[in-house]
Amino acid sequence: MINSILILVKSEFFDIFSFRLEYKRVKLVEITKLYELMEKFIKDQVLDKVLAFLPKTISDKKLDEIYSFLEKKYPLGEDPWGLSLKKSKLAMKYSYPLFKHYFKVRVIGKEKIENKPYMIVSNHTGQIAIDGMLVTGAFILDLPEPRIVRAMVERFVGTIPFFGSFAMANGAVLGDRANCYHLLKRGESILVFPEGVQGVAKSTSDYYKLQNFTSGFFRMCLKTGTDILPIAVIGAEEFYPFVYQAKSLARKLGLPALPLTPFFPLLGPLGIMPLPSPVDIIIGDPYPIPKDLSPDAPDKLIAEHVNKIENTIRKLIADGRKNRRKFWGSLLLPEKIISGESKKNGK
Amino acid sequence: MENSQVKSILIIGMAGGLAKITGGLLLKEYPNAQILGVDSRYADMFVKDSRLKFQRMRYTRSNFEKLFRNNVFDVVIHLGRISHSNANPRAHLAQRLDLNLMGTGRILELSLHFNIKKIIILSTFHVYGAFPDNPIFVKEDSLLRASIKYPELRDVVEMDQMATNWMWKYQHQMETIVLRPCNIIGPQIRNSMTQFLTTKYVPVPIDYNPMLQFIHEFDMAKSLVHCISHVPTGIYNVATNESISLREAKKAVAVPFINVPVFLIEQTAKLINKTFWSFPNYLIDYLKYPCVLSNSELNKYLPPHFFKYSIREALELIKID
Repeated sequence: MINSILILVKSEFFDIFSFRLEYKRVKLVEITKLYELMEKFIKDQVLDKVLAFLPKTISDKKLDEIYSFLEKKYPLGEDPWGLSLKKSKLAMKYSYPLFKHYFKVRVIGKEKIENKPYMIVSNHTGQIAIDGMLVTGAFILDLPEPRIVRAMVERFVGTIPFFGSFAMANGAVLGDRANCYHLLKRGESILVFPEGVQGVAKSTSDYYKLQNFTSGFFRMCLKTGTDILPIAVIGAEEFYPFVYQAKSLARKLGLPALPLTPFFPLLGPLGIMPLPSPVDIIIGDPYPIPKDLSPDAPDKLIAEHVNKIENTIRKLIADGRKNRRKFWGSLLLPEKIISGESKKNGK
Repeated sequence: MENSQVKSILIIGMAGGLAKITGGLLLKEYPNAQILGVDSRYADMFVKDSRLKFQRMRYTRSNFEKLFRNNVFDVVIHLGRISHSNANPRAHLAQRLDLNLMGTGRILELSLHFNIKKIIILSTFHVYGAFPDNPIFVKEDSLLRASIKYPELRDVVEMDQMATNWMWKYQHQMETIVLRPCNIIGPQIRNSMTQFLTTKYVPVPIDYNPMLQFIHEFDMAKSLVHCISHVPTGIYNVATNESISLREAKKAVAVPFINVPVFLIEQTAKLINKTFWSFPNYLIDYLKYPCVLSNSELNKYLPPHFFKYSIREALELIKID
């Protein structure tokens, strides 16, 4: 075999440099064997190792199981809000490596979720609302009984070409009272971020600080008798460790927010690539909706409950940061934020 | 109104496909009623029955008044709105304003004057407009915003508003029903949406995929007939419980189409609309944003399983045609 390799190398050499056609002497059988060996070597030693290194996507069998469960709820495969099971399935298949291997999403406390609709209330972080997509993915991929949570999105989302229809096909819904009411009445779970744009569009100095909650979600729960599921998303702030929110410039440009990072807008679309910060989604104890309170109760009575939910999420964030997986990007955060974390860690 | 009380029915816009089906259903539902259909167009009546007559006339002219004087109508069904698909929408705005507004005004006046018991007016869901902030399930009391962006829809919106104003003002003298159906499709219907769905190689937005509602022409005609005896004065959206995305609808009709970004469709429509394409500009918004109707009001008066055709069946039927 070595001889044949030498002959081949030699023949190649002479073919190129001296145009002597010595390869004629190499028998065809030997070359075939050589190719077989090379193929085996590439497959065993190179390809398998490269494939083992690359993140794996979800198996078709597992994905089929999840979506056959969901098809029972959406027999037509679509719903009036634009959900498309076919597109959602494709999106989950291709985003799975990102979800599991890049952001390494973990769901903690999923046993607290019962088989009933919830108003899922979360903190909002990560500048470009990736947290919403990760929560949606987690509720499809990580729950024993998968469900498509309907994330309430801002009005401008539907106007964005491609992304608007992609978001709607994956369960996002225009944040509107009528939509919310009809969805809850149909037994859907809704994901809301009561901090709004103020929550997601924070400068680094405000990371992990919960912004004031609006109370609309609570009134809607009272109206529909839906329990609240508080959750906290930890890790999304580190997607972009240095951010300055150019608020006045955003106002002038008519944009909801304008985050400036060391790479955005300098590197264009490449600059919005988030760091691979591991994300934990922590599920809190469900907050039962009071039966004796009217949806039209004065703000003071509603605020009492909203504050309780806000504090629950604040506590979930603090606990989540204590048990956070190590990530080098956290070290890039300003000292104030890290020390805040350290104090909470009791270090 | 009891079935037996209905002796004579006037259908305006009889040359249209929907009116012909409605006429046929009325003959069956009201065996003692005489039906007269009028239209400015020639109508080839496919239902041959001595109780169903047709007269060709413009309903803005004086002989239309004669019709009311010489007959005693119990019910008037106004299906004579000129749609935008028949010609270049801008060129015929004046004609549409004249017929849709002046004509409807005249029909309402005559109906009141000659003590018509019930009038049913067919409006359209286009009056709501397709907007990115439309809630899913637009209710009847939602704002009619269509003409804000597209002035060519002014006639449709104003006709609807005139009818609803009339309805409240004269509710004690005459029963008035305004129906706002979703996209009506069927082998007899030649509206813009049916043309869009059935034409080969039409550009379909690649970057938007709104949910749409369709009702089969037979179900729509059934609703019109049902309104005479079972539905009280009011405004009602007409739609089935189902909806389908635009791309799925195109696939269901099984005609090849071209994927194009919306901004290119807009430009193409502007370029070729004047010559050989009659696709109204405003309809592009309905291919971008949803306008899904709530049918809860009308459903209160419909028996269970009233609609015979599902969306996919309705689409299948225009495919066969």
